[in-house]
Amino acid sequence: MSALCGAGACVGKYGRRPKTARPREFDMGSSEASGMQLGIFTVGDVTTDPTTGSTPTEAERIQATVAIARKAEEAGLDVFATGEHHNPPFVPSSPTTLLGYIAGQTERIILSTSTTLITTNDPVKIAEDFSVLQHLSGGRTDVMLGRGNTGPVYPWFGQDIRNAVPLTVEHYGLLRRLWREEVVDWEGKLRTSLQGFTLAPRPLDNVPPFVWHASIRTPEVAELAAYFGDGFFANHIFWPTSHTQAMVELYRRRFEHYGHGSPERAIVGLGGQVFMRPNSQDAVNEFRPYFDNAPVYGHGPSLEDFTALTPLTVGSPAQVVERTLGFRDYVGDYQRQLFLMDHAGLPLKTVLEQLDLLGEEVVPVLRKEFAVGRPADVPAAPTHESLLRARTAGEGTQSDSADNPEAR
Amino acid sequence: MKLTIITGGLREPSSTRLLADRLVTAVAGELEHRGDQADASFVELRPLAHPIMDAMLTGFTTDALQSAFQAVVRADGIIAVTPAFNASFSGLFKSFFDVLPEGALSDMPVLIGATGGTERHSLVLEHALRPMFSYLHAIVSPRAVYAATSDFGSQAGSALGERIATAAADFARLLSACSPRARRDLVDEDLASMQQLLGGATGGT
Repeated sequence: MSALCGAGACVGKYGRRPKTARPREFDMGSSEASGMQLGIFTVGDVTTDPTTGSTPTEAERIQATVAIARKAEEAGLDVFATGEHHNPPFVPSSPTTLLGYIAGQTERIILSTSTTLITTNDPVKIAEDFSVLQHLSGGRTDVMLGRGNTGPVYPWFGQDIRNAVPLTVEHYGLLRRLWREEVVDWEGKLRTSLQGFTLAPRPLDNVPPFVWHASIRTPEVAELAAYFGDGFFANHIFWPTSHTQAMVELYRRRFEHYGHGSPERAIVGLGGQVFMRPNSQDAVNEFRPYFDNAPVYGHGPSLEDFTALTPLTVGSPAQVVERTLGFRDYVGDYQRQLFLMDHAGLPLKTVLEQLDLLGEEVVPVLRKEFAVGRPADVPAAPTHESLLRARTAGEGTQSDSADNPEAR
Repeated sequence: MKLTIITGGLREPSSTRLLADRLVTAVAGELEHRGDQADASFVELRPLAHPIMDAMLTGFTTDALQSAFQAVVRADGIIAVTPAFNASFSGLFKSFFDVLPEGALSDMPVLIGATGGTERHSLVLEHALRPMFSYLHAIVSPRAVYAATSDFGSQAGSALGERIATAAADFARLLSACSPRARRDLVDEDLASMQQLLGGATGGT
């Protein structure tokens, strides 16, 4: 930690915010206005509701996930992302099947993952699945890659967790080429080689889905994202904010090192976790049994300790707004904020109410406030359209630019 | 020499802390004798019990526990003392090392001690503590000190004093021979290996 914990400098760097709003001609009702995408991500856990003892069936959980995604679009959110898991009590083992169905039920929301396992999935299959999803969704697709930390999942897919880092690097190197080169000859150490392979279908408009690299704790992921000039998504919710600050600071510094632009031009996303009621004490009382029994941190720290240490916010919509706007103070202006809303056995009805509160009272304020004082050179969150425009204009902010190390 | 003393006693006053105090005083005296200074800081595990368990459950640490980790990592030598419970170290003592970041004790000179109701448990040092610290790649001082309740009585007191003095002399020699510890930056090492991998991966075919 030592080298990275000097990130106190980061507070000074990003902590002072100009108070004047920079005039922009965007419609304030969309992510274009603030350059920020606001959305939700789901883990897809099937968890008993600790207050009623009832457990949804897998079928109910999957249908609930679709209902949540549709509600997210209705509430005006920009992104819906699903996790990928290959063991009970989780249901999303086939994310692009789920997202493909949701794509047919929605019109505007961006469909993403949180995360797609770059280690245990074959890169050829990832390239194919997401190409098809791009076409089906009309470009409303990006992907967040992660390593996966459950040991037994690796051998189920013929891999070994001890190879996690080399697998990540080799698989991702191949995935990038499959999306960018018409005919691929490839040889690696951890997968059979490819001779004269052409991905079908080609990515929509020949623009690969934007890639985020997600990390809970490891600095290697920040390095990987920086190397390729891709997005870096810090899980944020399971670790103290000082850790997230250090990881983002590392990513931004290395992004510049690899020649993708100044640290402020790097593409950063954060996780978040909230539970709201108009009266904050109601939120605390209602959420506490879910917190106390939650699969990841239940029976551990108190709700109060966890709230103080991590970004978890349980309270009124105004408190959520204030806390979320504070994230900028330690990561700088960023591009994507995803909230975890539907875990730990919360019933669907409650989750949908939460999404209404998010859409009505939180997201509009965040859009407006995130735009205030955002410097002009901070890039907006990448979309298929923006990447297509950038490529057409011959001035990519990400992967296809001439200063990309891969293109050298 | 920066010495960090980890004590796992649960009661106040604690005989485990009492033994730790006597060990650090003896080691400091030996170091002084060799023209060196001891700079001692204590990590008491009892007040960290909740943060240690939370760290085990969530994977992250509170500030107080983080400071304890820093005190360990920055030390040139460790004195670790635990009460003997059920033929082993206490669960709290073990849990601290279970959540301590990997590599924190690599190449670290360690003097081990234990306390218990009777001297019949003294081999806990050789059967429980020494293997764990060896596994963590610490350099465990050859002479460990066990103090039973009776050792604190006046009749047996001098025998304990002699064991402490001999163990302290050994440990001071070990500390001097090892000299101040070179600190590895594990984050930098991870990044260096990642950079190497990336360098290889982009070569393509």
